[in-house]
Amino acid sequence: MYRGRLERDLSLWVGKGLLGEDTAGALLAEYDSRPASFSLGRVLVALAAVLLAAAILLVVASNWEAIPRLVRVGAILLLIWAVHIGAALMLARGAVVAASGLLVIGAVSFGGAISLVGQMYHLSGDEQTVMYLWFAIATISAILFRSGAVVVVAGFLSWASFAVYLQNNDTHWIALDPWMAPVMAAIVIALVRYTGAERARHLAYLLLVGWLAWLYTLYEESAVALAFAVGGMAALVLSALPVPRIAFLVRSAGAAPAFYSFLVAAIGFLLLHIKIEDEWRQLAVLGVVTLAASVLAIALHGRDNGAVRYLAYATFAAEMLYLASVTVGSILGTSGLFLFSGLGVALVAWIVIRLERRFSAGAREGRA
Amino acid sequence: MNSFMTRLQSGKGYLISAIIVAGLQTLILGTIIQSRASILSDGAEVLLKTAPVDPRDFLRGDYVVLNYDISSVPVQTISGGIPAEPGERTLWVRLKKQQDGFWVVTESSFNALPPQPETVILRSLPFYGGGLAAGDNIRVEYGIERYYVPEGEGKPIEQARNDGNVAIAVRVSPAGDTQIRSLLVDGKPIYEEPLY
Repeated sequence: MYRGRLERDLSLWVGKGLLGEDTAGALLAEYDSRPASFSLGRVLVALAAVLLAAAILLVVASNWEAIPRLVRVGAILLLIWAVHIGAALMLARGAVVAASGLLVIGAVSFGGAISLVGQMYHLSGDEQTVMYLWFAIATISAILFRSGAVVVVAGFLSWASFAVYLQNNDTHWIALDPWMAPVMAAIVIALVRYTGAERARHLAYLLLVGWLAWLYTLYEESAVALAFAVGGMAALVLSALPVPRIAFLVRSAGAAPAFYSFLVAAIGFLLLHIKIEDEWRQLAVLGVVTLAASVLAIALHGRDNGAVRYLAYATFAAEMLYLASVTVGSILGTSGLFLFSGLGVALVAWIVIRLERRFSAGAREGRA
Repeated sequence: MNSFMTRLQSGKGYLISAIIVAGLQTLILGTIIQSRASILSDGAEVLLKTAPVDPRDFLRGDYVVLNYDISSVPVQTISGGIPAEPGERTLWVRLKKQQDGFWVVTESSFNALPPQPETVILRSLPFYGGGLAAGDNIRVEYGIERYYVPEGEGKPIEQARNDGNVAIAVRVSPAGDTQIRSLLVDGKPIYEEPLY
């Protein structure tokens, strides 16, 4: 995706004489050498590791009696030791990709091993503890080997742990275990920062969004939905503040914080719409606030953050269509609403354009 | 700390990381295996009747659901009162051997029960109690509700279970933790569990 755009832009700049052909080639070569960039070989290694790990889990689940179970335990322990030592030797030689694959197999094998023990002793009711242990082992492995691939495994394990919790407790809030989902999300985000596994960040944020949605099913009240909307918008604004400390954290996290903040806010607005379907006066206020929130999101992040921009467009469009459909009784009323919104958006557009001009003028002066 | 991490992530350091991670996993697995095996070898043995109530666990494979007579504890056996407010609970259950060889609930409590001769105390898994029980029984689990079998071999046991002919011999640790020792059909052991 990004590589294609980069290549297009570079050839454009070379064509305009802004950039030498050698520099453009060197820039692309630098991008390709980054560990996160796409390489067919890396993808295939990752797929192979996932397939091998799944094979191990399924052999355990089949409870195959041809192999005595103590031999099975021994074999899986041997495998765990072999892949970790192997990964260490690979890393020492600089073969990061192969080492990542082995570490993934190692982290998943532990789940297989602990399931095997549960099967041997016919344990039941301990699934949650197993998930905590498994996540903990993946975390430790990710820290010690500084492995992004294992962070991805930990991210998926945090989902699995939350799923096991919901299944075991009929989605009720019981004891302190529900807090483990946000704690695990925080750990995964910390691991992402430590290992540089940028894409695993989404696993943590999606877990948090899912967790919030579950909270709403527990307390289906307008106050909770309102809290999502207000909290999400507050986080969105916070992520755009020019405070150096926050700005650094947000910039290094890419598009994710602003996007997921706005996603939570959008979910909050959606739930509020469902909640106050009948009160048309409240609905009108809510509609205007939702439109204003979308415009604010575009104004704050629209330029640098495509994900926020498209979600805001979608929210804006959905809100307009919704308002049109509920006010369809009076076409004149709908027309009035659109007139009002159109004027409002035009005003915002005028302000934004003036601000953008001032910023770019300021930037030029600063450079000169 | 930082220099320690840097040293770990180079040359021989990776080997230390490997030993730590693999060793930790071995330790956890060994601890679980030994804790269960020690109940099997040293625990007190009780014989429980199963009641008729199949599924497959994604990671552990096929299993037969076991539902015990002692899984529903009569409210009148509870000594020391029932907590009024909802919250996480553990129920201690005292079992006594009957004439037919099966063990039944004689007393239960939300606090640890003192040991008595010729009785065995089981501790339930933690469960969520919603205040004063409305019914006559409290449903509890002991962590012995599943019997894992090789793929596709659960049917005969399920059939016998549905006919009410399956009994489970369980070993109990002094703390009240349980471990399945053997599965009996019509009084004859079909599966004997080895220690390891």
